[in-house]
Amino acid sequence: MIKPTVGELLSGVAVSLRERVLPEIPPGVTRRQIQAAIGIIRRASSVWDKIGPYFFADNQDIEETLRRLIPVIERVTAEEADARLTGVAIKLHATLDRSGAPAEAYPSPAVLGARNIELQEVLAELQEALHDNPVAKNAGRLEIDALIRDLLRRMLARELEINSPARP
Amino acid sequence: MKEAARDAVSVLRERLRDFIQAQEPAAQGIEVGNLAPLTAGNTRNAWSFDASWTEHGKSHSLGCVMLRKAEAGQLETPLIPEFEVIRALGKTGVPIPRAYWIDPEGKWLERPAFILERVAGTSDFPALMRPEGAEISRGVAEHLVEVAAQLHTADWKALGLDFLPATSVETAAAQQVEYWESLFRRHRLEPHPAMVGAFIWLKEHQPVADRITVVHGDFRYGNLLYEGKRINALLDWEMVHLGDPVEDLTWAYRALWTPAGVMSLEEFAERYTKASGIPVHPDNLLFYRLFNEMKHAIISLTGAKSFHDGRTRNIVIADRAATVTSYLIQFYDWLPEVTRGKAS
Repeated sequence: MIKPTVGELLSGVAVSLRERVLPEIPPGVTRRQIQAAIGIIRRASSVWDKIGPYFFADNQDIEETLRRLIPVIERVTAEEADARLTGVAIKLHATLDRSGAPAEAYPSPAVLGARNIELQEVLAELQEALHDNPVAKNAGRLEIDALIRDLLRRMLARELEINSPARP
Repeated sequence: MKEAARDAVSVLRERLRDFIQAQEPAAQGIEVGNLAPLTAGNTRNAWSFDASWTEHGKSHSLGCVMLRKAEAGQLETPLIPEFEVIRALGKTGVPIPRAYWIDPEGKWLERPAFILERVAGTSDFPALMRPEGAEISRGVAEHLVEVAAQLHTADWKALGLDFLPATSVETAAAQQVEYWESLFRRHRLEPHPAMVGAFIWLKEHQPVADRITVVHGDFRYGNLLYEGKRINALLDWEMVHLGDPVEDLTWAYRALWTPAGVMSLEEFAERYTKASGIPVHPDNLLFYRLFNEMKHAIISLTGAKSFHDGRTRNIVIADRAATVTSYLIQFYDWLPEVTRGKAS
């Protein structure tokens, strides 16, 4: 059984609460709490069915960008002998190597989410390692900065699709 | 009102009476009346009440507001500095409620709380954002310029506000970034590379402040009581600190509550400089506009974390993490471009 979907169900619950329950509650703290809850249920209803595809697209984009970055990072680490950056580059390789063999043919949103956290983590570490090094910004570092910033913008644009603030 | 709620109000009324008695030992026949909740904010719950008593044969009557710490919220800040700042600024021309009494440990009032003068006016800022409210909003914005100038030219050393954490024109930006980044690291629920990148930019582009002033920290429509076109009181001082005054100006112009519809930021800054003598440099303006997006993002994350950890059951802040994305998009939209071969 796939109907009603979880998204449809939550949407219906939000409508019922707004139309039947809310008018019965006088203004005050309780009403504000119920209004907030309705907003959250509405938001959950609209994004529920998008979570899996969101993680899938986000993971793919982060992985592809990190792969593009690897040769530039290796060039920079060779020039600068930066121990922290070298360590992150090794972790980056290891993280990307794990992407080739998914344990399930159709990973669940939970599995894709865990992978997303893993990729976020290595991306954050890479940024911090680049910032830690006091060496003046060279062409390789600027190229990395620009690629990362473009990636972050794309990630945020995707995130907005599932993360628009709740409306009561 | 339900029975349990009525009982809770009665208990609180008793507590308030005992508390006021302890603060005013010579008072006789203390009455606490009209006790009612005003708002259940994210960090402070506000109650309105009237207090009256006689002292040496003279009658006293005060309209009061009690601000009491919420169970856990978006930010958890101590009450004493906030109360002392309000008390000190009462001696200046800054419109601010009188500070009456404080129960810093919650010994009398269940949770830490302080009592302020109840000031007339409304804080309804959506009314100022609507087209039909434009004329009043313009007047309030003009007064807001004056209030900013008054606050930022107040002699904080002479007022005894040097108990606030010290800073300097060179380190003011760094201290704020460090503070908010530490909250980010403590309260994030995931690595958030976009926020990590944003903090890196802020750390690499800190401007020097023109001078160090009292910074309200939440200076905006919504945190002021106005009547007609005049501001009667500036409220919500929980993020007050010493720092670069430009932080307040840019906070006032965040998209959620901006008066830009009736006064551009450029005009506000120009009027402000004329009134205060404090220049507003473009580098500081850009930096604090970006910084404030992050600051609000962290406030939201803090609230989401409090709910996630079960330290608060306030549903209003449960989903605040969802607001962070739009703040970050704004941050990256305003960020100067990185071009390969040229650093921003």
